Amino acid sequence: MSNNYFNTLPLREQLEQLAKCRFMHMNEFTEGVEALKGKKMVIIGCGAQGLNQGLNLRDSGLDVSYTLRQSAITEKRQSFKNASENGFTVGTYEELIPTADIVLNLTPDKQHSPVVAAVMPLMKQGACLSYSHGFNIVEEGMKVREDLTVIMVAPKCPGSEVRAEYVRGFGVPTLIAVHEDNDPQGHGLALAKAYAVGTGGHKAGVLMSSFIAEVKSDLMGEQTILCGMLQTGSLLCFDKMIEKGMDAGYASKLIQYGWETITEALKYGGVTNMLDRLSNPAKIKAFDLSEELKVIMRPLYNKHQDDIINGTFSATMMADWANDDVNLLGWRAATGETAFEKTPAGDMEISEQEYFDHGILMVAMVKAGVELAFETMTAAGIIADSAYYESLHETPLIANTIARKKLYEMNATISDTAEYGCYLYNHACLPLLADFMKGMDTDVIGRGLASDDNGVDNARLIEVNAALRDHPVEAIGATLRGHMADMKKIV
Amino acid sequence: MLQLHDLSVEFDEGFQLKHINWQIQQHQHWLITGANGAGKSALAAVLAGYGEILAGSTSRLPTTIGWVSFEAQAQLIQAELKKDDADILDVISLGTCVREIIFTNETDPVIAGELIQKFELEYLLERAFRKLSTGETRKVMLIKALSCHADLLILDEPFDGLDQASHTMLQNHLTHVVKHTPVVMVLNRFDEIPDFISHIAYMEDGQLRHQVNREDTQAFNELYQLLHLKTTHLQVPDSDTDNTRPALNPKEPLVKLSNICIKHTDMVLIENLNWCIQPNQHWQLSGPNGSGKTAILSLITGDHPQCYTNDIFVFGFQRGNGESIWQIKQHIGYVSTALQWEYRVGTSLANVIISGFYDSIGLYSKSTDQQKHIANQWLELLGMQGRGDQPFNKLSYGDQRLLLIARAMVKHPPLLILDEPCLGLDDINRQLVLALIEKVCAAKETSVIYVNHHAQDRIAGIDHYLALEKSADNA
Repeated sequence: MSNNYFNTLPLREQLEQLAKCRFMHMNEFTEGVEALKGKKMVIIGCGAQGLNQGLNLRDSGLDVSYTLRQSAITEKRQSFKNASENGFTVGTYEELIPTADIVLNLTPDKQHSPVVAAVMPLMKQGACLSYSHGFNIVEEGMKVREDLTVIMVAPKCPGSEVRAEYVRGFGVPTLIAVHEDNDPQGHGLALAKAYAVGTGGHKAGVLMSSFIAEVKSDLMGEQTILCGMLQTGSLLCFDKMIEKGMDAGYASKLIQYGWETITEALKYGGVTNMLDRLSNPAKIKAFDLSEELKVIMRPLYNKHQDDIINGTFSATMMADWANDDVNLLGWRAATGETAFEKTPAGDMEISEQEYFDHGILMVAMVKAGVELAFETMTAAGIIADSAYYESLHETPLIANTIARKKLYEMNATISDTAEYGCYLYNHACLPLLADFMKGMDTDVIGRGLASDDNGVDNARLIEVNAALRDHPVEAIGATLRGHMADMKKIV
Repeated sequence: MLQLHDLSVEFDEGFQLKHINWQIQQHQHWLITGANGAGKSALAAVLAGYGEILAGSTSRLPTTIGWVSFEAQAQLIQAELKKDDADILDVISLGTCVREIIFTNETDPVIAGELIQKFELEYLLERAFRKLSTGETRKVMLIKALSCHADLLILDEPFDGLDQASHTMLQNHLTHVVKHTPVVMVLNRFDEIPDFISHIAYMEDGQLRHQVNREDTQAFNELYQLLHLKTTHLQVPDSDTDNTRPALNPKEPLVKLSNICIKHTDMVLIENLNWCIQPNQHWQLSGPNGSGKTAILSLITGDHPQCYTNDIFVFGFQRGNGESIWQIKQHIGYVSTALQWEYRVGTSLANVIISGFYDSIGLYSKSTDQQKHIANQWLELLGMQGRGDQPFNKLSYGDQRLLLIARAMVKHPPLLILDEPCLGLDDINRQLVLALIEKVCAAKETSVIYVNHHAQDRIAGIDHYLALEKSADNA
């Protein structure tokens, strides 16, 4: 069975690795794709990330081909069609891996262990193995052959966006890392940078991180605020509106599209801007609710972070993998049966502002979740930059998936790891918030505050505004969004 | 009121107005505009009863006309010269004096007196008319026209030759006149258009092409741009001298496609196509929907994944040998309806043009002062000067298209691909775009590929044709 790599390190190194995260300067990429020029890049897996990264790399002048399992080729599965219809060479592991200078493992997390075990013996001496997620190395403790270089290049957006932004002449923010135990030739960073340039990532900003920081922050973000909080929030808010006799179509629409609308404000101006979209009384209400939520949920966030740091989470999940995903599939089916999932969105018009005005509780949940995830991660030694990207920055992406596909499909779209963590969170959080929800009514979810008086107490408003703006996630957010705006003149 | 019905008129010089349909209702004041030689003054002269009617009819032409124009001015001077010639006495005749020219039976002496004062012409009243300067002659003409209680005032370039003070004075005076007298004005320059003008007639090739109500702001702006383009000496703005685009070998073709096949799972779109584009050739690519026009173009631009599985030579690169698409795109300017759909970014007009230097959708690099200057030159060319900071996505469809065409041309690319550039454009904008393309074709710097459905729809300067047919497989 696997051996958790993080747990083998002394505390000193654990802390050092967790704290790795640096926003790289544009002039660190002047070499372009030179380090990969003429090298043979073979991608394992041709899903959305695999295909779109490959298209970008090829358009950047690099030599890209795809390797798939024999069965995928013989049965002409979708992955085979994706690669071959786009004019790529496709071959089996045996055919292509031995020719590769760099092997890009873009398969789902769950397949990493068997895939890496299968390709490693075929890889040529001194080649490079690249990941887009460090789970296999950090949590499963995969030992990679000593002569091989191991790097990570992880675009922080869905595959379709990786391609769309490249075609526009831009890119998506990208995280890179070198696994220090596997950098025998000392060129891991050069390869990772060239790879990031090849996908266009350098234009949108590159974070230099570590395998450990990436895994521990990524897991925490996805299972708490990103997927977990939005799922739990969706179910609770929907059921509350139905309980209070509201139209089911309206309730379903308010939630399905509400997350996306309110987190759009988050994307542009952080938690402060999201709450600034509310009227003053509603803002104070949302603030108070979020403070209450934070007190109730903090132990849960701490537990998730602790389980992630000490490996309990991954061990539990891997046990389920070994058990044919019984838990995962059961929870997935249950999600499909929830009242929210089964009620189609109504066809009424809901204005952009109405999503805020009628979704005060949703705003409070996003604020509480973002701040708790950020606070917990930084308390665990993860640097603020990482914590920002893995909490606030990615929330709008998941919200967008819910807007397009609701919960069941959102869970099917995200990684199995994220999905598993999301269900864990959801099952703990639903009962945790049961009492709190008893006190909620349609003034905070569904109908909005009675609008005849917008008066507030001056002192209280000043206090709330100051508290919003002083939160550490806002300071780092302003800095990082500033970097992005410098590069991407037009947001 | 006044009506011209399918009227064709010939003038002495053989110039013809063709099939004019025009009504001037009460309380309307028209501006006739158009490029030089379009027939603006001829149309005004028809209202004054000139020209030989070949076909069609007129009704309710005015009986008393106040007419100011170079033609009317020339006639008066001609008449004066004739008088001189006809004088058999052996004395030097100075001809008719200004007072006699102005004060005739038709003249209202009170109004005329007032205008003489306003134009400060008192000291000229006894002078011979033909001794006057051009500007002074023009003033006399204006006084005559404005003081004869005309049913219709025809003012053909009335401000020409007037000094600034007289210009302002006349403008002020006209604002009173228009309360009781309809005015038809001919002007070359849109920026002199007085506020009282309510309608605009646009002439081209002796035909009345567009009639625009001034309250229709969008149509008015488009007409403004068209006129601007037609009347300005069109000069394609400079290229960016700091650009780092490598020079191309002039002896090599720009594009050489050999035995091209484009296949999708269930069909063959293009089979065995060969196409070679040499520098300075202008091509028209046509074919029905689904014949693969856009697919072929995207092989050239590098946007089609099968550009790596075909024999494609572009700008010195045999595709699939380590070149990046940005090395290809730097040589290409590209416009299509699809690009316009994709170009949905909240950026400014100037930035849209500048993004053409970087082949990007949106602008992600810091632009240079020179690039900003060139963008402004383009905006001026398109009649959008001073609007560089406005948001692109708030523009009309036609204006967006014009900007994207400027974006495609801004770097003076060796190859300009215009994939149905006029699709969805109204007539005015279409003419604007075609005028720009003809200009670029003539400039000898850029090879043009112009794509449309109809092979017969031809553009001056285009001399090579490739017509695609729907492959049998794909019928």
